[in-house]
Amino acid sequence: MKYIKIVLSLILINLIDQKMAGITYNYFLIFPITFLSYSFYVYRSNSSVSPSEAFLLGLFVDLISETFLGLNAIFFCLITYLINIYSNAFKLFSYLQICIFFGLSSAAYVGFSQMIINIWNFSYVTLFVSSFFNIILCILIAIISAYLPYFVKQRL
Amino acid sequence: MARISPTRGQKLAFLIYILIGTCVLYLDITSNSFQSVKNGFKSFKISSSYLLNQITVEQYKNLKNRSKSKKSLIEENEALKEALDLSYLNNYLITKENNFYKDYDIIKYPSRSENNRSEFKIAQLRSFDPNTYNCCDRHRIFIEILSDDEENFNESMVFNSSGIIGQIIHSQKYSEVMLLTDISHYIPLKSITNDFFCNARGSGRSEIVICTYNPLVDSKKITVGQIFYSSGLGGIYPRDIEIGEVNKVIQIDPTTVSLEIKLLASPLEGDIFGVIRY
Repeated sequence: MKYIKIVLSLILINLIDQKMAGITYNYFLIFPITFLSYSFYVYRSNSSVSPSEAFLLGLFVDLISETFLGLNAIFFCLITYLINIYSNAFKLFSYLQICIFFGLSSAAYVGFSQMIINIWNFSYVTLFVSSFFNIILCILIAIISAYLPYFVKQRL
Repeated sequence: MARISPTRGQKLAFLIYILIGTCVLYLDITSNSFQSVKNGFKSFKISSSYLLNQITVEQYKNLKNRSKSKKSLIEENEALKEALDLSYLNNYLITKENNFYKDYDIIKYPSRSENNRSEFKIAQLRSFDPNTYNCCDRHRIFIEILSDDEENFNESMVFNSSGIIGQIIHSQKYSEVMLLTDISHYIPLKSITNDFFCNARGSGRSEIVICTYNPLVDSKKITVGQIFYSSGLGGIYPRDIEIGEVNKVIQIDPTTVSLEIKLLASPLEGDIFGVIRY
């Protein structure tokens, strides 16, 4: 049941991701909602997410988003590994540090995925704008979560 | 509750999965090994979204139309629109007033021969991701060829009412079309005077293909606005069809000049296509 819920959520989030990409790309901005949502799921998970789960979910996202097979599988495995490694250390980090971590990881995702799916038109402007925007957005979410807990049920 | 950090075995498992992922990615990029899996999933996705659409949206539309007295007018309007789209495609082959050809005589060939005429099929757009078309290197669409014959349409040319848009690369229930702008796609072009030839590669950008040549070898001066035609040398597309005009001339270095050619046809213009094998 848990996995069906995750898979359905991924389908829905990916659909929103694709719809939004068409609008944001005109402003040199890529906001990887699927990747960030998955990262947040791993971060909030009570137990460590297994590598096979990360790999299979990544492959599934590759299929539904029609990119090269293995692209998201690798990134999902990497982010799961990083979050599992630092899961206890995150408790010592400030919100700002955690936001920078997620912002930079999403920037790395944008950079590497663009290098694979869009190498002929790789744009540094897109990379820098996306990095800046993702970090700012993560900080904003953290601020809302910390200072306006009524709007967000669970604090980061 | 504290989470347990990955053990040595789990770290090894992560490493193995990342290596497997890298191999899968490499194989997919270089050899299209998983094309059948992707196409199968794509067919399933298109069929299920079509069914879902029929069950929900179309039913709602029908109910709404029934409640209106203008139902017959709406149906007639839809039928006329479809007929108009088809007539545009037919005009591509038989009308002498169209502007796709440089040499109007070659229009006679497909229309004169009954064999060639029978290969002209109507296809309908089934899936197109405009996000990928505007951002990324792979420019593909999926069409359904409306034909009862179980023939192989691989390497057939696909066109719409404004010109050539690409070629079929995988022919199944839903055929995959590689657009001219896909970076893996090349189309041999020539100038109107037949004294300049080049292979135009898809740029990964919408409506743009790129031709590069060495000005030391080919001294022909190319200017902005010059029109390019298909040379027919690739064997897929017929010769002398207008493809587009030079949008930008970029001198990359003394031995390389790049021509940006803006295409005449856009796949966004309609959802009815023609498929023909020359």
